[in-house]
Amino acid sequence: MIDLTLNYALVKKFIVKFIEEEVKSNKFDHALLGISGGIDSALVASLAVDALGKENVFGILLPYKLSSKESIEDGLKVVENLGIKYEIIDITEIAEPYLTKEKIGDKFRIGNFLARIRMSIIFDKAREFDAIVLGTSNKSEIMLGYTTWYGDMAAGIYPIGDLYKTQVFGLSKHVGVPESIIAKKPSADLWPGQTDEGEIGTPYSEIDQILYLYLEERKTKEEIVELGFKKEDVENVLKRMFATQFKRTFPPVCKISQRTFGHDFLYPHDIFK
Amino acid sequence: MRFKISLAQINPFLGDLEKNLVKHLEFTEKAIVEGSKVVVFPELSLTGYTLRDLTHEVALEADSDFFKPLKEISKNIDIVLGFVEKGEDKITYNSSMYLSKGEIKLVYRKMYPPTHGMFEELRFFGRGNSYKSLATDYGKVSVIICRDFFHPTLLSLAYLDNVDFVFAISNMPLRGLKGEKPQIQETVETASSTYTNFFGFFVVYVNRVGFDDGLGFYGGSFIQSPIGKKIVSAELFEETIVTGTVDTDDIYKKRISFPLIKEEDRLLFVKNVNRVVGGLDD
Repeated sequence: MIDLTLNYALVKKFIVKFIEEEVKSNKFDHALLGISGGIDSALVASLAVDALGKENVFGILLPYKLSSKESIEDGLKVVENLGIKYEIIDITEIAEPYLTKEKIGDKFRIGNFLARIRMSIIFDKAREFDAIVLGTSNKSEIMLGYTTWYGDMAAGIYPIGDLYKTQVFGLSKHVGVPESIIAKKPSADLWPGQTDEGEIGTPYSEIDQILYLYLEERKTKEEIVELGFKKEDVENVLKRMFATQFKRTFPPVCKISQRTFGHDFLYPHDIFK
Repeated sequence: MRFKISLAQINPFLGDLEKNLVKHLEFTEKAIVEGSKVVVFPELSLTGYTLRDLTHEVALEADSDFFKPLKEISKNIDIVLGFVEKGEDKITYNSSMYLSKGEIKLVYRKMYPPTHGMFEELRFFGRGNSYKSLATDYGKVSVIICRDFFHPTLLSLAYLDNVDFVFAISNMPLRGLKGEKPQIQETVETASSTYTNFFGFFVVYVNRVGFDDGLGFYGGSFIQSPIGKKIVSAELFEETIVTGTVDTDDIYKKRISFPLIKEEDRLLFVKNVNRVVGGLDD
């Protein structure tokens, strides 16, 4: 097992600087994020408070009728501990008419629909508060594509987008995320009993090792298997990674003109810095 | 000779020449107040790093009027900075400049613009092809740029040229945060320790701070003496100016105890380089 532990004091300092600077260079003073009760949003909220001050960070809790009680309790713990302004908007009444009318039973469709409803509200609220939306996706889920495209992935910046889930746990302990949040199993909480690891089929401890070896150490699939990882786990991780490449790239633009965004209109993102 | 050098570890505004000029003048004033003889800014200090298509919009000819205020203030202190150069050959370069006594004394074009992974410099910049050095009031200096520092071949030229100071101005993005220091900082400092020890000159390394499009530059600027000592170090991630006092006598002392340059045979080196790269028939 490779020790993925980082120097969390430095990581914290660096990400706090990143948030502070990227928020400013995107011409905002405030930041807003969805608070799910999970570890990723708890961590990003804490780092954002360090970067911007609690008066400039807004949390939105967006429970659905099937959300677990713990999620709401833990979400409230996050915003109350940090002392940030927050709102609770139950999305059941918003989502239900469509889901009922269309008779949608497929839990993946329901899950994606809920994630995109939340995205819509988060962006509306960001407009209301004149805030940038902080993404809470981490490297493991981004690389696996275990996210909803234009749902929970939609954000202005990704402060923890280059931290593996293992490192999210490490940094969360370091910054003092509530223990109940650190202790529970990661879950998108889209239906009762759902867990990330159950759905992906490989535990994060393995996922992160495989991703690290493949990405950071440039090991081949065969070399990773030789190191003792199960072939089906390695294949599962790599297959998911490449099958979801579209989520990590800009949609291809059919180039016709001399200069086209997405191809050769190459200005930096932070153009107002 | 003992004198002070200031390291201006700035966070430039991306693509904003005017704001960056003001910042340069402010930091140069600070260095003058410190009593420094030289102030050193990072790579592309007048423009920021991740310019992409902005590159051509912020390019300046070396004789541009834009440099007038900097020339003026260089009557009081020597200045090393980085800018996007619009070459007389109509090619854009990632260049460094040494100003002194009201004049531009040296313009050097980065010889090794990295183009792989997150780096795409050759997409926007031409490649410099000339190592350069300059005799100043404080010794012979060479000003190299970021990735250049990882090419021992280029540093060997500075060694054979018998310089006293290598100014390495940099925009080094952070990668690797496992150990006590960022991994890339370890790499830079290892290189510096090697160069100062074997080549026997001072390394003045100035890196920027701040973020461009998610790339974070770690800072950690320093001066290292040929006798191995870190004379001054700037902290990580913070915009700051630090000043250190160097003593050029360290070079002489080092070369007495470890007289590599005295033993060097330049012609033999050239002959063998030519043989290795196929310039001469074996």
